[in-house]
Amino acid sequence: MKVFVRLSVCLIVISAISLSGAAVAGEKSLIVGGKNYTEQLLLPELASILLRQEGFDVTLKTGVGSVIARKSLENAQFDLYYEYTGTAYTLYYKQKDIKIMTVPEKVYDWVKKADSEMSLVWLDPVKFNNTYTLMMRKVEAEKLGIKSISDLGIYVTKNPDKLIFALDSEFWERPDGFKGIMKTYNFKLPSKQVKKMSVGLTYQALQKGLVNSAMGFATDGRIAAFGFMNLEDDKSFFPVYNPVPVVRKEILDTYPEIRAILKPIADHLTTEEMQQLNKAVDIDHKNVHNVAMAWLKSKNLIK
Amino acid sequence: MTTLLIKLYRVILAIAILAVGVIAERTGLIELLSDPFEYPVIIELFIQHLYIVTFSMAFATVIGVTAGILITRQRLRKFAGLCMYIIGLGQTIPSLAVLALAMSFLGIGTKPAVFALTIYSILPIARNTLAGITAVPPELIDAGKGMGMPPIRILMEVEIPNAMTVILTGFRVALVINIGTAALAYVIGAGGLGDLIFTGISLMQTDKLLAGAIPVTLLALFADFLSELLGLLLVSKGLRLSV
Amino acid sequence: MSTLRFIMDNFDEVMFLSWEHIWIVGVALLIATPIGVVLGIVITKHERFASRVLNGANILMTIPSIALFGLMLPVLAIINMGLGKVPAVIALVLYSQLPIIRNTYTAIKNVPSSLVDAGRGMGMDKWQLLRELEIPLATPVIIAGLRTAAVMNIGIAAIATYIGAGGLGVYIQQGIARVYPEMILSGAILVSLLAIVVDGGMAMLEGIATPEGIKVQRKLSQ
Repeated sequence: MKVFVRLSVCLIVISAISLSGAAVAGEKSLIVGGKNYTEQLLLPELASILLRQEGFDVTLKTGVGSVIARKSLENAQFDLYYEYTGTAYTLYYKQKDIKIMTVPEKVYDWVKKADSEMSLVWLDPVKFNNTYTLMMRKVEAEKLGIKSISDLGIYVTKNPDKLIFALDSEFWERPDGFKGIMKTYNFKLPSKQVKKMSVGLTYQALQKGLVNSAMGFATDGRIAAFGFMNLEDDKSFFPVYNPVPVVRKEILDTYPEIRAILKPIADHLTTEEMQQLNKAVDIDHKNVHNVAMAWLKSKNLIK
Repeated sequence: MTTLLIKLYRVILAIAILAVGVIAERTGLIELLSDPFEYPVIIELFIQHLYIVTFSMAFATVIGVTAGILITRQRLRKFAGLCMYIIGLGQTIPSLAVLALAMSFLGIGTKPAVFALTIYSILPIARNTLAGITAVPPELIDAGKGMGMPPIRILMEVEIPNAMTVILTGFRVALVINIGTAALAYVIGAGGLGDLIFTGISLMQTDKLLAGAIPVTLLALFADFLSELLGLLLVSKGLRLSV
Repeated sequence: MSTLRFIMDNFDEVMFLSWEHIWIVGVALLIATPIGVVLGIVITKHERFASRVLNGANILMTIPSIALFGLMLPVLAIINMGLGKVPAVIALVLYSQLPIIRNTYTAIKNVPSSLVDAGRGMGMDKWQLLRELEIPLATPVIIAGLRTAAVMNIGIAAIATYIGAGGLGVYIQQGIARVYPEMILSGAILVSLLAIVVDGGMAMLEGIATPEGIKVQRKLSQ
């Protein structure tokens, strides 16, 4: 009996230690987080490769939603992840000033200042704008004469039952998401016409003709590959979304070199290149690590 | 009868516990439920969920029971062991994977979801039908033969009634798992209560999460209770007493 | 087969994810077993709690897995452990309780009373009876319960990806998002394989744990 009790206690203690082992930081170890779509698998991968090159021990934790990623950073479950300026501005800080959010430098400065009060540091921004877009198949858009979101709004108001839209639950709920669009562009799509699915499936749904319009990300390689067009955001509803590595101040103070290590990504990654990388993973089904490595090598960033 | 009461007790207990939880979450959940914009959406998702579950269970029961019966017929009996083994293997495939694979072959939406759930639910039903019928004491079958019953009558009046308890258990297990797996169908675009659960998780909105998780749990418990009730109707008194 | 090629091409990742998956299930079982077995033993000695405990465990197992994982998040967010492996392990521990408790309870109750009497007659006290008679005789059935729990957990752990726990479910999740059937298949096959291997391994364990005398007795009665 006693042996049994002792054994169980030992087992529970061992398990508890291994569980907490995840929280115990080792030498120069970092937890890099990421959200749940391809670009947010590539950016952390690029960062990890560069960091590992400089001797850091990096653990990747990707595949979560925006709010969870943000909370994880605030609670020190992540040390660093790539957040978009527009997302922080509209979703976390619930701001709406068009004059600020449509100008890359202004929105970057604003969120940088706001987060410095939370001991979070925004490093160098990557220059491309991965904005949400409303996509349609080129052929259908031409047929219906829809070029901008305003056009779409007018079409929906005239034919409320004809349009089906695909999106993911995050885009539905966010202030910079579909509900906000309907308000700004003054139309209402009945909830029956809204199909919710996981984020990567919206492209497939649009391509297969299951829906007439879908939400997408501007740097996704599938927009070009599948013959989609992005509807013009004529009322400037969407903010600018530049991805920026956000790191906990504690970590940056301990390892200030992180800024310099990650800077090359900000300097060299253009919109077209990001689209290429996304395409390689999504359409050519290449391995995320290999794609990241290949790009870094092409920029002579690998020692 | 006792099992029925026990299950009723369980449902009530669960409702009580969850009610406490709901009250604790009062600010979030009740607000969400009484929001005139959100409420119809929740009802719609609930109905969607029921739709997927009902259709897939209907198909699965018909196919599963028939398959189970067929394997026990004279000519095919030798394959019974092999079939059990294959079904056992099939049950190790995670439910999420079956949904995902159906999606890659059949596309997005409710159709692949119903298909995947049907396949996934056939396994416990077929396996239990097989086990139930093979477990019918051969003396009873002999008695039937002795009375001059043709094989069909033996099946309908001897084998199935005696196997009913086991078959129903398979049905019950399949149903409860089906309800839970249908919550995953959101991921392949089929909607259902999973929509609320996944949204709640990815946006850390506890009220949405509970609005999805609680109904699904209650549905599963209720289905469990209903299955027991069904047992009361379908299993003959004599067999019930002997359990 | 293209799926095989996928696994070969991404072998490191496959190993890593498999390890994560095994770790989650393993830790969960390590914690669940002492709790379940102890509870099972306790309710054999205190019958009035038996139905309540078994009912509770049954309710836990009826809760759909994604709902239970989801519920862990707000509860554990209070101590900043909302995401990742911790809620996954805890949920799996809760799921495993029914098979383990129920099997322990049934196994010990099924120890023939004649043997218990014989033991008492030999002067064994309560603890000795438990240690030298009841537990050894119950062990094979308890292991059968562990086996059920293990296989069940391996399947459910695939869903834990959605709360950030990693494991082979990642292949299924990403396979869906990237519309990559080979990835989904790899995830599905690997989880299945894992379940089959563990099931077989535990069946062997069950065999080892069964005292020779019982094995002979079973053979004779067949």
